[in-house]
Amino acid sequence: MHLFVQACILGLLTGGVYALMASGLALGFGVMRVINVAQGALIILGAYLSYTLYTDLGLDPFVGLLLITPAMFLLGVALQLVFLRPLRDEEREELSLLVTWAIALGIEGLLSVAYQTTYRTTITSYANRSWTVFGYYVSVARVYAFIASFVVLGLLFAILRTTKLGRAIRATVQNPTAARLLGVDTRMVSALGFGLSVATASAAGAVYGLVFSFNPGSHYDLISRLLSIIVLGGLGSLGGAVVAALFMGLAESVFAAEISPTWSGFTFFIVLIAMLVVRPQGLFGARVRGAI
Amino acid sequence: MGKRTKGLLAAVAALAVASAVVAATASSRPTAGPIKIGISLSLSGDFSDPGKAVKRGYDLWAAYVNAHGGLLGRQVQLKIVDDASNPNQAVTNYQNLITRDHVDLVFGPFSSLLTGPAATVANRYHYAFLEPAGGGPAVFALKLHNLFFVQPAPVVKCGDSFVAYLKSLPASQRPKTAAYPSLDDPFSSPIADAMQSQLQKMGVKTVYRHIYPAETTDMTPIIASAIAKKPDMIVAGTQSQDAYGQVNALVQANYSPKFLFFANGANSPTEFPSKVGKNNVNGIFSCSDWTPAAPTNGNKLFVAQYLKKYGGNQFDIDNNSSEAWAVGQLLQLVAKKTGSIDNQTIINTLHSGTWSTIEGNLSWNQYGQPSGNDLLVEWVNGRLLPVYPKSFALAKPFSPKPAWGK
Repeated sequence: MHLFVQACILGLLTGGVYALMASGLALGFGVMRVINVAQGALIILGAYLSYTLYTDLGLDPFVGLLLITPAMFLLGVALQLVFLRPLRDEEREELSLLVTWAIALGIEGLLSVAYQTTYRTTITSYANRSWTVFGYYVSVARVYAFIASFVVLGLLFAILRTTKLGRAIRATVQNPTAARLLGVDTRMVSALGFGLSVATASAAGAVYGLVFSFNPGSHYDLISRLLSIIVLGGLGSLGGAVVAALFMGLAESVFAAEISPTWSGFTFFIVLIAMLVVRPQGLFGARVRGAI
Repeated sequence: MGKRTKGLLAAVAALAVASAVVAATASSRPTAGPIKIGISLSLSGDFSDPGKAVKRGYDLWAAYVNAHGGLLGRQVQLKIVDDASNPNQAVTNYQNLITRDHVDLVFGPFSSLLTGPAATVANRYHYAFLEPAGGGPAVFALKLHNLFFVQPAPVVKCGDSFVAYLKSLPASQRPKTAAYPSLDDPFSSPIADAMQSQLQKMGVKTVYRHIYPAETTDMTPIIASAIAKKPDMIVAGTQSQDAYGQVNALVQANYSPKFLFFANGANSPTEFPSKVGKNNVNGIFSCSDWTPAAPTNGNKLFVAQYLKKYGGNQFDIDNNSSEAWAVGQLLQLVAKKTGSIDNQTIINTLHSGTWSTIEGNLSWNQYGQPSGNDLLVEWVNGRLLPVYPKSFALAKPFSPKPAWGK
């Protein structure tokens, strides 16, 4: 029982980081019908930038976020304008897979040249600290990562709910034609939406690097997990992605502790297959657009 | 005999002649000018850190020899090429070094993963293959007569000295239970398996054993499962990254076993403390083939030369560098004894007798597997020191391991 509860604590904290990582992917799909398979690589890019700021300048990853996130937002806008905007609407979903895959490989290649393929972790002064609560240990870094994830997610929800840009994004998600007719520049909204999605990825990367070791090839494993999460949550549903991420973090950790760590990663794909068979639209996904 | 059969025979004969010409070309090397030695090393990729340490050892040896009259009066010229830690690239590199660059000799790359395929290429061209870092069972299973692993013991015996040390303790101080979390890797998990078998015979009960895949980046769930069984001792068959991850997960869980042994990772004098924190290293055991204070042939000279060229402290010297130097030293010993650097002479000569190097007194079976033992090393007051056998010990081992941060 002790091990089960300990695994649940670890899993929930990890699930928080997954939630932040998956939210950008859900946003990208919701706004632009783009399945961004480069999301994993962008997260790893964020992890490397945060690692570099910490090791070279001594900037704590949570402070580094303030620099990395805006920069990655601009990168996201640029990527959308250069690579995704030219795609024709009727083929957007299919072609976006290829284009974003190419972006992922490009990022991986550049990171391999710049950092080589050695595994890294952002080891801060509090990396190995933990609190003991009722006999269970709680890693300080994981709690910080969990809190940071929900702060960024909160900001993302606030932008979507309260700002003009957020309203424009939601309008574009629900009905791009009507949004255009009402004067929303949907092309610009798409670019800004993708920028937001990439900014979220970079924030997720910074916290990811605190908890996990990574190298340029880590994005393959990451993207397969994230795709499972957003399918479980419902494609394009931000809230669904968060709930699914917490659930998967929990399931993975409990599976690892109680059954086998070797097969724990497989829980993602068992759930993915089961979900596609039983409820293809996911937990919170709608069969039509407008679910965000 | 039909026309087609004759044609086929002629083709086969032509091929045989061509092969003989190629082989002759490969073996007809000049006997004047510098001695060219070809080496493929992992200067990028997964093994780039140890690969660079090996390069430092080779470079240092060549510089020293050249500054002292060369080898048999000829200067030594190293041709080192990068294999990006990729076995296929290592094969291509040795093929090119031998057939295109016509090097006189080759030295081995880093890790068993690359050594096996590389040694097979060298064997095809009848080159001796003195190698510093390929000691996994898979290498010796190739049954190559030209290969010599220039370390005292094969990898699978890495934990023998630790088991011997535990046996030397009074029964009351020995661990009663053990956990074995190991990496699914041909060099790591066999070490833990071999130790588990010996320890069980000693009466140490196995309470946890798990082999995790190489993709595992989070060791926390594995350690959580292992420590739930409250083992007195953790014996981990690791490489580097997973060893760091296990220590960090143990520190976070604030679980300090009485004995903690890592097959690999903890024996890196500079990397290990930087990855787990200087305060968390004390009392951790590992195995090593070499230490700076070992009273072996030429060790003082190597340490002095290393510190002169690269600076730092003797206890920060990576044993991958000493292994590379020992490869060069071994070649020197053969050249001195036979007056030749002919590959076949080297192979024949090394297969008899015992050779005294900085890695200790070495001798091999017919497939290049050494017959000695590794040393038991432990982190004591922030330094990685030999602690067993007693004749090599520079410190008394901790028993039990101090708490984290002590």
